[in-house]
Amino acid sequence: MTVCTYFLQGRCRYGDKCRNEHPRGGRGAGGGGGGGYNNYSRPPPQQQSRGGGGGVYGNRVWVNPSQKSGGNYIQPSSFSSHGGDGWGGGGDRGTARAGGRRDDTKSSEFTFSTQNRFSSLNSPSTFDRGRGGGGGDENDKNLETIQKDMEIWESSGQWTFSCYSVLKGTISGFTDLAPEELRLEYYNTRASGGDLQNYTNGVTQLLSQWRNRVQELKAMNASTRVAVLAELNNTGAPASSGGFWSRTGTGFGSSSSSFGSGGFGAPAPAQASSFSFAAPSNVFGSSVAPAASTGFGGMAAASTQPPSGFGSSSAASSAPSVANFSFTPAANKAPAASAFGSASGFSFSVTTNTGGGFGSNFGAGTAATAGSGSVFGQTSGGFGGTVAGAAAESGAARGTSASLFTPQSELTPEELNQFGAKRFTLGQVPLKPPPADMLAV
Amino acid sequence: MSLFGTSAGFGTGGTGVFGSTTTDSHNPMKDVEVTSPPDDSISCLAFSPPTMPGNFLIGGSWANDVRCWEVQDNGQTVPKAQQMHTGPVLDVCWSDDGSKVFTASCDKTAKMWDLNSNQAMQIAQHDGPIKSIHWIKAPNYSCIMTGSWDKTLKFWDTRSPNPMMSLQMPERCYCADVVYPMAVVATAERGLIVYQLENQPSEFRRIDSPLKHQHRCVAIFKDKQNKPTGFALGSIEGRVAIHYINPPNPAKDNFTFKCHRSNGTNTATPQDIYAVNAISFHPVHGTLATVGSDGRFSFWDKDARTKLKTSEQLDQPITACCFNNNGNIFAYASSYDWSKVRVRLYSLLCAERDKNTLSEINKTTS
Repeated sequence: MTVCTYFLQGRCRYGDKCRNEHPRGGRGAGGGGGGGYNNYSRPPPQQQSRGGGGGVYGNRVWVNPSQKSGGNYIQPSSFSSHGGDGWGGGGDRGTARAGGRRDDTKSSEFTFSTQNRFSSLNSPSTFDRGRGGGGGDENDKNLETIQKDMEIWESSGQWTFSCYSVLKGTISGFTDLAPEELRLEYYNTRASGGDLQNYTNGVTQLLSQWRNRVQELKAMNASTRVAVLAELNNTGAPASSGGFWSRTGTGFGSSSSSFGSGGFGAPAPAQASSFSFAAPSNVFGSSVAPAASTGFGGMAAASTQPPSGFGSSSAASSAPSVANFSFTPAANKAPAASAFGSASGFSFSVTTNTGGGFGSNFGAGTAATAGSGSVFGQTSGGFGGTVAGAAAESGAARGTSASLFTPQSELTPEELNQFGAKRFTLGQVPLKPPPADMLAV
Repeated sequence: MSLFGTSAGFGTGGTGVFGSTTTDSHNPMKDVEVTSPPDDSISCLAFSPPTMPGNFLIGGSWANDVRCWEVQDNGQTVPKAQQMHTGPVLDVCWSDDGSKVFTASCDKTAKMWDLNSNQAMQIAQHDGPIKSIHWIKAPNYSCIMTGSWDKTLKFWDTRSPNPMMSLQMPERCYCADVVYPMAVVATAERGLIVYQLENQPSEFRRIDSPLKHQHRCVAIFKDKQNKPTGFALGSIEGRVAIHYINPPNPAKDNFTFKCHRSNGTNTATPQDIYAVNAISFHPVHGTLATVGSDGRFSFWDKDARTKLKTSEQLDQPITACCFNNNGNIFAYASSYDWSKVRVRLYSLLCAERDKNTLSEINKTTS
């Protein structure tokens, strides 16, 4: 079969249906670094080295639109980082290079950003510091990404009440609200004859919170930097899979066994193999009846308490903790109580929860989880009870600590011990944030 | 004013509804406008399934009502019936035999509307507004799946007031899609869960979101054997992620693309970024349509990774879209989606005056 020249250029209309051959390495040739059309003569070995360089192809972004063809075509570009540079640097370095290369192509082949911002979301090797780059480098890249994203967010007019993330976990300080939720709030206020001013005030306040947070992240001064890095790094730590979004990075390859490659349709009664939770996957196996979800049920129970406010508070809780809601059954660092205020309730209560806002529910929740591997088999009553208790306490705690860190003087000796220890002890997990100087970042 | 039968593409050839020669941003594509649209923003659209003859379109709106139109072959729409909720309707779906319509509302209930008798009865109850509702037809059971802002996903057989099953989610449900045996739910805080529906619904996998911002809409696509194989996920940041469940090469097969942004080619000035409000897949060709807050809709081919078409800009955001069962008709709704809350805050009165329209076009794709 002849090789499809359009495919090599990255613009074959037929895709898989094409009658010509689409060599696999050729795709990269077409799109590499923004050089579009002119690079299809690049020799294949370069592609392979790219592939070997850590699988950081990441996502290809469609480019809008192509001026050369004048039509509706887009040149897909692939943003693979170059070979063994260490994936972390792939992003910005890519920009520089592509910029240079782009000068020679007179066609429209531009990309909004050749920086593969999503590479870190894909590759499981994200967290392996040993490879190229090195930890510090990658942190800087991430921080730069955050700053750029903040600028774009501000100037683009996009929806402000959204969560945000760079790596797998979210960056705290942003509340996630759907337009429908705000709209419903407005309609309800209007219907109940209430003062629309309340609504307006609420929204204005949310906006200013958002603005502050964006400014903070844009400016990225020392303490923000520390806080954000702590979040990113904690989220990134391999064992604690960045919140309870299980590390399906590995799941993609491995857990596909029962499904083969035919897509989803294969019958899969063998559920045990198909879950990618680290630990007791069998727990989720067949008994997926309501009992199975009680792990989270407790959370919901507690979170239906009225205005728990937004406090999806900012960074740096205690050092060993996972930044986000960690329900990891792999109970290593999970017990860190200071998970964050979830945007669980939604109300306009004035909560400027920057630091101490504990999602409350998670503290004891994860403790219980960690303690008994089969938490999900527990009856919801028991679990709910534990959480409720914690919720009550941390509700109070939330009120008191409005700052990111607690000074040492305010902590009891037990709490200090806990923070100082390598791991938290179940049942004694402190509810206040650690002192700043105890953080090991 | 028939736009049907033109093979030239969209909106060409037919006499427009307004017939003026100036650019009309209310209906710039000159598509057929549906008569008697709801009085407030349209939140969802659904066409009748193939088991029913003819095309019936259901639209739910923020005016608490659900309306049904018959779409005739010449493009005319005839209003047929209407039902009310006590709160804005957020999602609608049809049963597989086309005799019932299910509606989900902010009043925390879902209703089953029997079209033959024009009666509606409540079939579901949540603790919070119900954001998504889908009909599941499995070989050994059929039920309704409702996802709510109370962080639960519940399954109801329509005869009992208690759910058959209730699954807890980590966060509020923002959008969901069902193509048996797969269901995908996207929640707040970038949550993404895939469920498998054989035997009984169970959680299959939680996926790290490929997107950085809030999830807004999701739609499942099928492979060549007509089995669900992945989904498209849209966010508020003008970006859609195509994600396969078990791809041979995840890094290469999964990708994201930007859409619904202004300043396409000019990277110097900051872009305006708009939310992707809905995604819909063509039932035959597998191409996808996205509609956004910028007031445009676009068609894409995810396998060739190309954009097929973008519409002209309408004067209001497009909030919902839907293909009919054979892909000949594409319906989209143009109404305010609350995306400009910063601006609108200072003109709350204006929000009341928004016009709301439904439009349809005939669709052919290559």
